[in-house]
Amino acid sequence: MTKIFSSILILLFISSLQGFSQKKAEAWRYEGPRFGIDLSRFLMPYMQKGKRSAWEIQADVPYKGNWFPTFEFGMQSFDDQRDGFHYKNNGTYARLGVDMNIVKFESLKDHDFVFIGARYGYSLFNQQTDGISYTNYWGALNSSIPSRTMNAHWAELVFGMKGELFSNFFLGWTLRAKFPLAVTSDPNIKPYIIPGIGKTSNGVPFDFTVGIYYRFPIFRTKTLPKVIKMGGNTHPGEVDPNDPNNPRNSGNSQYGSGSMRNGGQ
Amino acid sequence: MRYIQIVISLLIFVLLSCNDGNRCYESVDTLMVGSFSINGFKPINSLIINGVNRNGVGDTLVNDTLSTLTKRYTFPLSLTSDSTGFVLKANGIKDTLYVRHTLIMSFISENCGFAPNYIISGFRYTKGIDSVKVTDKKVNPKSIEKLTNDQNILIYFNSAVH
Repeated sequence: MTKIFSSILILLFISSLQGFSQKKAEAWRYEGPRFGIDLSRFLMPYMQKGKRSAWEIQADVPYKGNWFPTFEFGMQSFDDQRDGFHYKNNGTYARLGVDMNIVKFESLKDHDFVFIGARYGYSLFNQQTDGISYTNYWGALNSSIPSRTMNAHWAELVFGMKGELFSNFFLGWTLRAKFPLAVTSDPNIKPYIIPGIGKTSNGVPFDFTVGIYYRFPIFRTKTLPKVIKMGGNTHPGEVDPNDPNNPRNSGNSQYGSGSMRNGGQ
Repeated sequence: MRYIQIVISLLIFVLLSCNDGNRCYESVDTLMVGSFSINGFKPINSLIINGVNRNGVGDTLVNDTLSTLTKRYTFPLSLTSDSTGFVLKANGIKDTLYVRHTLIMSFISENCGFAPNYIISGFRYTKGIDSVKVTDKKVNPKSIEKLTNDQNILIYFNSAVH
């Protein structure tokens, strides 16, 4: 364990040195896999009812500059003592997906981005309920529902941003809309909290995560990623300045430099 | 750095908006809804209903001295036994009705907890009751929200006895 920890520290140190050298060689753009933790999971016990503990790690890798295949893995336990029952639920979950940058990088050193993305999520968890009590005219009933292993599948649409605070360290947030696809059914109790999804009482649960990330700058490039074109027709006046097929970019073009004055001759 | 302000403001927004109410707005009272009928246009001028072996003070479920044929009554079912017995005293004549049922405790919501759900599976009754018609065998907290002309069971008294 100590070896692993010291190896991570050494890697972080080397990467930081690379970050300094990056300042000297400004012509390079550094990219690499990014690892982080979701800070909002640690705030959950203070924001919501019941005893909760949770953690989540996240990782993404840049692909062609603007695409970020993403993997997220986490754990959540929930213990809810109510008047008429005591509900416990704990399990792990994982999400796999991709984020797409939707803004233009200003320079080679600019790594701040806004993204939209999608995820597929899977959760494996246990739930059990003790101390169920109910009273009517005929008396009282005390019962419990034994522990049962369940699973859930869901899809997510995400929107968020990540900004580079300082060399290779990022802070970001993600807003998530979750669409449960399948949950193990139980005749007694439908799980009202699912690790990775959250509350199931809302049709489309929303979640908000805030993460801090470290990027290992192991790749370098001199090209700035092109902005991903969204759908729709090109406006008649909209031209790509880097497109070699565009006659306006040719030096001996009959259109000249593209000013209205020349165009009108 | 420019995103820090946005991150912090969104975080504050989320902290403020995470107000989790703890009130229960759903019914957790599971009661079987029943009504009465009798052949031959005979009136039922008084009706008293008790649970079997429940004769103490406050154990009377219904004590109605007005015409009962147009009314609906609610019956609590046993939580620990697979049948529930009621003593029906109509026009002074006692009858006993046993309702057989299965029970499952179902989760309503985190604020309301659990409530029993029953499935009616059969009846046993004495000769003053002619028949019992089941119109809805599922008894759950929604049963008491049934429309005025709807019920779980319709009990026909025997006009020859009453």
